Parts: sequence; C-alpha cells; structure tokens
Amino acid sequence: MPFVTANGARLHVQRLAAKSTEPEQPTVVFIHGLGWDSLASFYFTLGAPAASAGFHVVTYDLRGHGKSERPAQGYTLGDTVADLAGLLDELAITGPVHLVGNCFGGTVAFSFAHRYPERVASLVVIESEPATGAWSVKLRELLGNATDHLLHPDVLNWISENRGAHTARRSVAAGKIFTATTMASEIPRGPLLGEAELAAIGCPVLAIFGSESDLVQVADWLPRLLPSCKVAIIEGRDHSVLAEAPQSVRELMVPWINRHRPQHSAVGAPESEGEHTR
Amino acid sequence: MTESELATVADEQEVLAEIADMLAQVLEDMELTATEVGMADTFHEDLGMESIDLVMLGNLLTERYGDKVNFAEFAAELDLEAIIALTVGDLVTYIVRRLGGEEH
Repeated sequence: MPFVTANGARLHVQRLAAKSTEPEQPTVVFIHGLGWDSLASFYFTLGAPAASAGFHVVTYDLRGHGKSERPAQGYTLGDTVADLAGLLDELAITGPVHLVGNCFGGTVAFSFAHRYPERVASLVVIESEPATGAWSVKLRELLGNATDHLLHPDVLNWISENRGAHTARRSVAAGKIFTATTMASEIPRGPLLGEAELAAIGCPVLAIFGSESDLVQVADWLPRLLPSCKVAIIEGRDHSVLAEAPQSVRELMVPWINRHRPQHSAVGAPESEGEHTR
Repeated sequence: MTESELATVADEQEVLAEIADMLAQVLEDMELTATEVGMADTFHEDLGMESIDLVMLGNLLTERYGDKVNFAEFAAELDLEAIIALTVGDLVTYIVRRLGGEEH
C-alpha cells in the first residue's frame, strides 16, 4: 500500500510517473483542501493530464484526511508544512518542486514556500489565500462553526434536502474529522505570515480564482503584497472551480509549469502572457 | 449471438466478478459478493463510496490488469457529474475495452 511515514504521521501517497522520455522532468506536488477533501480531488482531475504533460506527479492525503493517519493533534500550519517537507525527504525528492494547492492546500503551499524557499520552483494556488491575520480570524470562525454544528441532525437534514445525500455524507465525514481532532483550533494558529514575510516569497506564484467566488477579492490585494504573483480569474465559476472546471485550471497550470522549469529559464525561454492556447 | 459477442459477455462477467472482489477489499466492512454488485450500481450513491475509495480501487485495478488500466486517466476524461454517476458497468466496459485493445 502506498504509505509514507513523514514527521511522525503515516501519510497516504499516490504518484503518477511523467509520460516523457526527456531526462529532467519537473515534479508537481498537489495539496488538497480541508474537511471531506482528499488527494482524489487532484488525482481524478489534474493528475493524469499533468503526467501526460511530462510532469512527475505526487498527490497525498494531508494528515487527518483521506487514508492518512488521523492523530488527535498536530494540525498547525507549521505541522502541515513539516509533514510536506518530511514527505519530500522520504520520497528522496531533493530538487525544487512545483506546488499546486486547492483552497487550504494553497495556504499550505504559501507557508511551505516561505519556510523552504530553496525547495520550491513555483506555486499554483486555486481559490486560496496565504495565512494572514485576517485569514486566521476567518478560519477560526468557519472551523468553529463546522465543529459545533456540522453533525447536528437539523443541519444534516437541511444539507441533505438542499444539497443532496452525497454532500450530507461528506459533511458527516468533515464533522467527524473536526470533532475527533484539534484541527479546528490548531489550524488558525499558523504560524501566520505578515506583509514582510509574504513579500519575501520569491518564487513565481499563479493565483487562480473563480469570478463568482467570495475569495475573488483576494485577487485585488495579493499581487500588491506578493510581487511575484500573477492572477487568473475563471469566469462564471465559484469556489468549486477545480472540481467543476478542471479543464480551465489545467490550461493555466500546464503552460505555467513549463515556463518555470529551471532549465528553461536558464536558456532564456521567452515569457509569454498568453495563458490559454486559444 | 456471434462468437465474438459471446467472448465479450464472458469477459464482462469475469471483470465484474473481479471488481466485486476488489470492492470487498476496499470496503472491508461491507460484505459484498459478485451477485450483490451489479453493472448498474453507482459507486457513490449505491455503494456509498467516496472518491478516495475509488483511488484505492484504481490501485487494485492497475495491480491486476497492468498499466493499460489507468483509473486516473479514465476519470480525467469525465466531468464531475459523470464521476459522481459512474457505474460499475462503466468501469467494466472501460477495462474490457482496454484489455481488448492490448490483444489486437
């Protein structure tokens, strides 16, 4: 079974080999979001296309999620970043990697890039924001509410009637995670990133948002604080843009990673602003 | 029924039985047998599986049938609704097609 023990936790890992004969292929590490989410969100959307594009693909379940171990505690961003560093060590991936994160996975990617700048070639963050003070306040409220209410029968009935049985089942799964662990109280603790720390993230960052998402306002301030950040907005999509429009995300991600291969920049590959193929 | 049609049916039944065994492995607490898993069953709604369980099933499929059967590639061609509505039969058809392609 595909498990690796990293930073003391047994993590479920799925890798896809690059479909390419070229010797130096970039490694892309996908990081999923919180709650009911798992590596499946990337495995079934961008995983195979990334491998076909010639990238080595690593997907893993964050601790507490999917098939990874669920210890009662150890869920601060610092722990999560240490898990990823340990995972790359265990997999003997030493060169800089491209991190692709969805929602909280993007927050992890920002923090990892801050903590280990030499290990990151670029970031692609989807519907994400870095761990600022404002993020912490919002997450504390959101996760507190989820922990208090998600397993309440009235809430579950409402979800089931309005969002379907499938979403209700996922809500139960998320509610169980939050009540069985200290995740909800630990995650908002950070460590948080101030303006100086954000500005110090030097790697190229592509931030993708859905035009209908509440998070799209992050696009207004993120590039100001993070000079290396470019923004792409996918029209007509909300927070679920990865699940509902994987093709659009793929068309942004593949050329972005190709443009930021270390060997490409070394030979002076031209910077193209044309994100879409047409 | 022609001989080749008969061969296809036989393959499908064989693959269905094998998938039923794999499902029992993935969902250890569910006592599934080949007769209980039907071609029309959906993984999510009928079998109560989550996407992460399908990843595990995908591993077993590749272990059994080789790299020709690549669940990640198969799923990348489908949209979200199609993945949620995916049936055991869809997967059986895909596997039979991939294995058939290998022989020809």
